[in-house]
Amino acid sequence: MNWKNVAHLIRVDMKSGRLIRGRRLTKYRERKLFTYLLYGGALTFGLAAGTLAGVVYNTISVVDQELKGLFQQGLLSLFLSLPTLVLIYSLVFTMMQQIQRSGVKFSVQAPYWLPITWEEHTLASTLANLLGFPMVSIVFIGSAIIVLSIFVGQVVYAVFTLFALLASAFMASAITEIFRILQVRFIGAVYKSTGRAAVWVRFVGSLIFFIVFYIGYFLITSGTGAITFVQTVASAQSAVWFVPFVWLGMTLYSFINGLLPQALIFLTLSLLFILSLFYAAVILNRRFGLYEPPAITISRGIYAPRVGFLGRLGFSTVEAALIRKDLKAFTRRRELMFIFVVPIVAILVPLMQAFGTMGRPVPTEASLYLFAIVFLMPGSIMAVSLGNLMIGEEGGVMWRIYSSPISAKSLVKSKYFFVVFFAVLVTTVTGIVGVVAFHPSVRAILIGFIESLLLVFALGAVSLVSGIKGADFTELPRPRMIRTWWGLVNLIVCFLVALAILAPFIPYALTHIVPFVSPQPAIDPYQAVVISAIVAVVIAFVAYRMALKNARELLTKAET
Amino acid sequence: MWLHMTNYAPAVELKSVVKRYGEIEAVGNVDLSIKPGEIFGLLGPNGSGKSTTLKMLLGLVQPDFGSVNVLGIDVQRDSVAVKRQLGYVPEAPRLYEFLTGIEYLDFIGDIYGIQTEEKKARINEYLKALQLEGREGDMISSYSEGMKQKVALISAFLHRPKLLILDEPLSGLDPRSAKIVKDLLHELKAQGVTTIMSTHVLEIAQALCDRIAIMYRGKLLALGTMDELRQKASMPGSGLEDIFLKLTGTGDIRAVVEELLK
Repeated sequence: MNWKNVAHLIRVDMKSGRLIRGRRLTKYRERKLFTYLLYGGALTFGLAAGTLAGVVYNTISVVDQELKGLFQQGLLSLFLSLPTLVLIYSLVFTMMQQIQRSGVKFSVQAPYWLPITWEEHTLASTLANLLGFPMVSIVFIGSAIIVLSIFVGQVVYAVFTLFALLASAFMASAITEIFRILQVRFIGAVYKSTGRAAVWVRFVGSLIFFIVFYIGYFLITSGTGAITFVQTVASAQSAVWFVPFVWLGMTLYSFINGLLPQALIFLTLSLLFILSLFYAAVILNRRFGLYEPPAITISRGIYAPRVGFLGRLGFSTVEAALIRKDLKAFTRRRELMFIFVVPIVAILVPLMQAFGTMGRPVPTEASLYLFAIVFLMPGSIMAVSLGNLMIGEEGGVMWRIYSSPISAKSLVKSKYFFVVFFAVLVTTVTGIVGVVAFHPSVRAILIGFIESLLLVFALGAVSLVSGIKGADFTELPRPRMIRTWWGLVNLIVCFLVALAILAPFIPYALTHIVPFVSPQPAIDPYQAVVISAIVAVVIAFVAYRMALKNARELLTKAET
Repeated sequence: MWLHMTNYAPAVELKSVVKRYGEIEAVGNVDLSIKPGEIFGLLGPNGSGKSTTLKMLLGLVQPDFGSVNVLGIDVQRDSVAVKRQLGYVPEAPRLYEFLTGIEYLDFIGDIYGIQTEEKKARINEYLKALQLEGREGDMISSYSEGMKQKVALISAFLHRPKLLILDEPLSGLDPRSAKIVKDLLHELKAQGVTTIMSTHVLEIAQALCDRIAIMYRGKLLALGTMDELRQKASMPGSGLEDIFLKLTGTGDIRAVVEELLK
């Protein structure tokens, strides 16, 4: 193992993640500061959270000895469950990171033709995965538990827990590496067996994968789910000691309970398991690392011109061609498919809350609130995400748009239609689910539908403005599509726009949230809809004009 | 410098064109006139300003000074009208890899407003000629670099443009396809189609081009037919490679190679 090679490869991976597109499309600069700020921020918040919890513990200790004992016991339970918790969310995060990577063939990349061994390549890839969000969260958790343990007097346990967390994150990253290679091989086999249906098999398969992971993640990390999880892991991991994934937790459990020989056995087993995972990844990489899935054949040379529908809607041939091309992009490009997951998860999570899957059932009065979320959120999220990505998703093929006779008007019209069409489609589907699940009144349905449409039109146009202005055409290691700064600015602007559109309904929301304090609204709901519509139309109109201006600038100053 | 006084309506005309990127002058005061039906070679070492010049013809780069006219249209005024009449293949073109070959060409046909039946006939002709038949239904992501280059070339020829701008057009092509493309360019020349090509393979430029321009550090060093270039370089009977190296002052190759072999 050449450690210099490993360090270089990690640096390359980290650097490509840090590069930020400058004002000119062709110039990139590196922002190390942002990365260091993340770690610094995590450390600061961790220290603050640990100190705060420590102060609470000290206060409790003075007041109530029984509560002090419970606190100490609770902290030990937390230590025991943290390795498994970190393993799960690191797994989810690193897998998401892998899936969003560009589908461009990896065999063109330097590691495959430079004198680098598969061990070095796999280790670098595993560590680079780990050095993102998992490491930031470990810095946060680690600093918090160490500071808290000083107050509680459990420093040794906290330090061991920190090592266990690092080992867990490495384990998760190695599993992701294994999964990535197997996925490529599996996809190849699926393509071979499904033939022309391969595109849809991939689309549906990816959606299911995303959804299962997101829901699993939410179940474990949100609300009562997290507490239940900690309690379950702390109490039940002894019963499932034979499962390798809890061996790190078992090492801690044995150590905390003074069973040192048992702790040593589980520690050895854990290390062997991590090593075996790593070498499994190395072997798989050696075997399938250069494997390229077979070609997907979609048609057999039959020329099938598509005319009609988009033309009848008033789109020119150029605009219709752009819309059809984008439709194929979003159903065929793996890295773009995740966009369909967010609205589905946005429906499923409130539904699960409503039907008690995530704990106790929610009270009926919350149904209207959940219905509003299901109705308004998914379509709006879709409009914001799509609007932001529609230009940047062109990536390196943007030259095709630049050099073709496509006017700014056609470009913006086709992209805006695509955004609005999908967002309205999502709103309709989620609306139907909302109606079936929460049985709202006809008035609530009508108002919900109109408001969600208004949000879609306005937020779609606003997001397209920043999507054009802040487009990032970088494709490796993952397609960026939008500059970070513009993405953040867009989120803030969209939040304010949504607030402005929904402002006439704020008095109604207040009467539900704080019924005894809030006065009755001065206008009826239908008048509120009219005011809201005026605000939305004005915003959408102004934003559309700005998008046109930005598109003209983009097409005529392609070099800047 | 206005190298050629002409008495025809030029297909491409650059007048006193200047383009700067900060301190760097990418193109400096270039005058150029290209006749309709001419195969014109634009040569130069890396960073000599060729790509910037080609991009200015497409309206993708705005000159800081001077004017660019293509097919009688001021590019800065109406770049869409210019783009409608020209076919462009950049160096190492990226294609929409999630589309099949036929879907990509169908998309291009629609962008250039070709009628359905005509589009179908032309696509089939080109696919057959460049031996892409049988793979047109596969996603482009599975194509070799040569196949991608063929698709890019077809997409430039498909709408029968009046002007072709080709950057390394024969890169990655098999000998048969390369010969077809060369013959096609000659046939199109006979039909009045102008071709501007940039290449580093000087044998191709010498064999294909009616006139050649050599750019160096943003300036037009030389322009003319092979005979005119030989005269300018005072190298009668020499090939383009020797002329190019002499004019660009990069002829000390032997010393460099010897240094590398030490």
